[in-house]
Amino acid sequence: MAVDAATSRPPATELLGARRAGEATLSRVAKSLFFGAALFYLCVPMVAVLIYSFSTRWTANVLPDGYTLEWWQQTLSNPRIQSAFSTSVMLATLTAIIDIAVVVPAAYWSRVRNPHIRPVVELAAAIPFALPYIVIAFGLMQFSGIAAPQYQGTFALLVAGHAAIAFPFVYWAVDGAMAAAGIERLSETAEACGASPFQIVRRIVIPNISPGLVTGGLLSFAASFGEFAMAQIIGRSLDTVPLWSAEMIRSYSDTAGSYNRLAVVTLLTFLLLFALSAVVVYWNRGQTVRLLPGAGAARTGDGR
Amino acid sequence: MATLSRPIVKLGLESEGGSASPTPIARMRGWLAAWLPAIPLLLLVATCLIAPVVVLVVQSFTSMGESGLTLDLWTRVLGQRVNQDAIETSLILAAGCATITLAIGGPLAWLISRMLQGRRAFWLGLLNVAANFGGIGLAFAYMATIGSVGMLTLVIQGLGIPFDAPRQGSMFALVVAYEYANIPLFVLLTIPAMAILRDDWWEAAQTSAATRWIFWRRIGAPILAPFLLAGWLLIFTWTLGVYGIAYGLAGQSGATAVHLITLQIGTALQSDVLLGPGRAAILAMVLLLFAATSLLLYRTMLRRALRWL
Repeated sequence: MAVDAATSRPPATELLGARRAGEATLSRVAKSLFFGAALFYLCVPMVAVLIYSFSTRWTANVLPDGYTLEWWQQTLSNPRIQSAFSTSVMLATLTAIIDIAVVVPAAYWSRVRNPHIRPVVELAAAIPFALPYIVIAFGLMQFSGIAAPQYQGTFALLVAGHAAIAFPFVYWAVDGAMAAAGIERLSETAEACGASPFQIVRRIVIPNISPGLVTGGLLSFAASFGEFAMAQIIGRSLDTVPLWSAEMIRSYSDTAGSYNRLAVVTLLTFLLLFALSAVVVYWNRGQTVRLLPGAGAARTGDGR
Repeated sequence: MATLSRPIVKLGLESEGGSASPTPIARMRGWLAAWLPAIPLLLLVATCLIAPVVVLVVQSFTSMGESGLTLDLWTRVLGQRVNQDAIETSLILAAGCATITLAIGGPLAWLISRMLQGRRAFWLGLLNVAANFGGIGLAFAYMATIGSVGMLTLVIQGLGIPFDAPRQGSMFALVVAYEYANIPLFVLLTIPAMAILRDDWWEAAQTSAATRWIFWRRIGAPILAPFLLAGWLLIFTWTLGVYGIAYGLAGQSGATAVHLITLQIGTALQSDVLLGPGRAAILAMVLLLFAATSLLLYRTMLRRALRWL
């Protein structure tokens, strides 16, 4: 087809070809500059934090005055940081467990028995998706003040709050896995073979949606681990990693090395979250990408 | 699925018909069978998401010392200069951030989607890594990079160029830090949409003597626009609600820092005892209104976008 045009008007294509070649080099240069800038922007902050965590004093010269492992040792052996990490890990673990425990039955039932559950859950998932966590946190603080004042500021309330804002991650992952596994047919078959509902869930549903469980569990863990607004408003008396970091970033003192310790904690948090996302990518067989959130919902909604 | 869901449908018909209606207990049992497994989730949602929002709505229409519903709190809070300022700045910041994200993230997503396997995997990996930086950690990374003694600041000064690091609470600082989280997110979310634009279409357009510009104007842009605009709306909404990064960056400089809705909610709760909760409630309502509006627009946009799937 392109040949047709070339044979009918040779001079024009020559001209065009020359112009195209010029354009091509120009656009290649522009592209490399664009990607170079992106690479720089994405990598420099990580490198800066990394160097910060190993430097003795870094206020005057391009590179630090010296390097040390002191901050890593200090941070890892600091009891307050240790307790912040264990609080955060416990909070995030409980969040993930609760979310899986409440979402899986609902998602399963909405697929095999009662399709009316789906629109309700999807509407609920839109709340933490669109509404800032600080608004939900403030509302929850006010509501708990009215309904259950004894729980205000407790770990339990923060777990409930985190479970509520992280549940959409689990729901989308689990529901997607159920669709991919064709759970309706599987459980129908199992029922025809005389399996009890409990057997179906334990031996058919759970094994077949394990990628969704891992993905959803890890995403909700990560969402809870890094969450700051709700932890600050609801769990002010607690000490999670983001709360500790916020305190450090505000109490700037150059000599005490608080920023170096903050660099270490930032890196540790970052490594943990990165490891989790790497596992998610691995479990989904390299599919890092997904459609805009809610796209799947809108699609099935249209179909019905 | 169809056979399994039949009992529910029958139940609904019977209760409507009423003639051979089952006893209340049987109906209750049928309802329970239909909803029981979802009840824990619905309880969690009702107590931790819906009830809090309802409480905020009610509180925003009540006032201390007065009974009944009133707009008093709304007019008082929205009349304050600080709050008007915060709403205006938040909107400008969110719209600006979303537009920058679209302008950089859009082309980036397109180019990455057209890369060969290996290079594409590298960029997706890098964006995934960067997307894990957030909140206070990101605020600190900003400071360690172009804060007053940040790495980049020291490098530029080391080259002999007079350079003052931008103030931490400034718009510039917020935009640079926010974009670090926004751009990777935007690219990761919109890359799948880029596959919709098929390479054959570009070839077909070329055989019809279309230039690259015409192709993009007539085919590429109309098809991708709903996806990109949906992404813009998401970034706009999420930027409006960012708290951690702003707290880490702007919180420190206290009174001189930019006024943002989320930061004002935080300070209202911490310092302002008298009007604090009321002020926070109104500002939370403002965020709620923006979130609801953009969610509706997002849904519409996505429905249009998905025609092409």
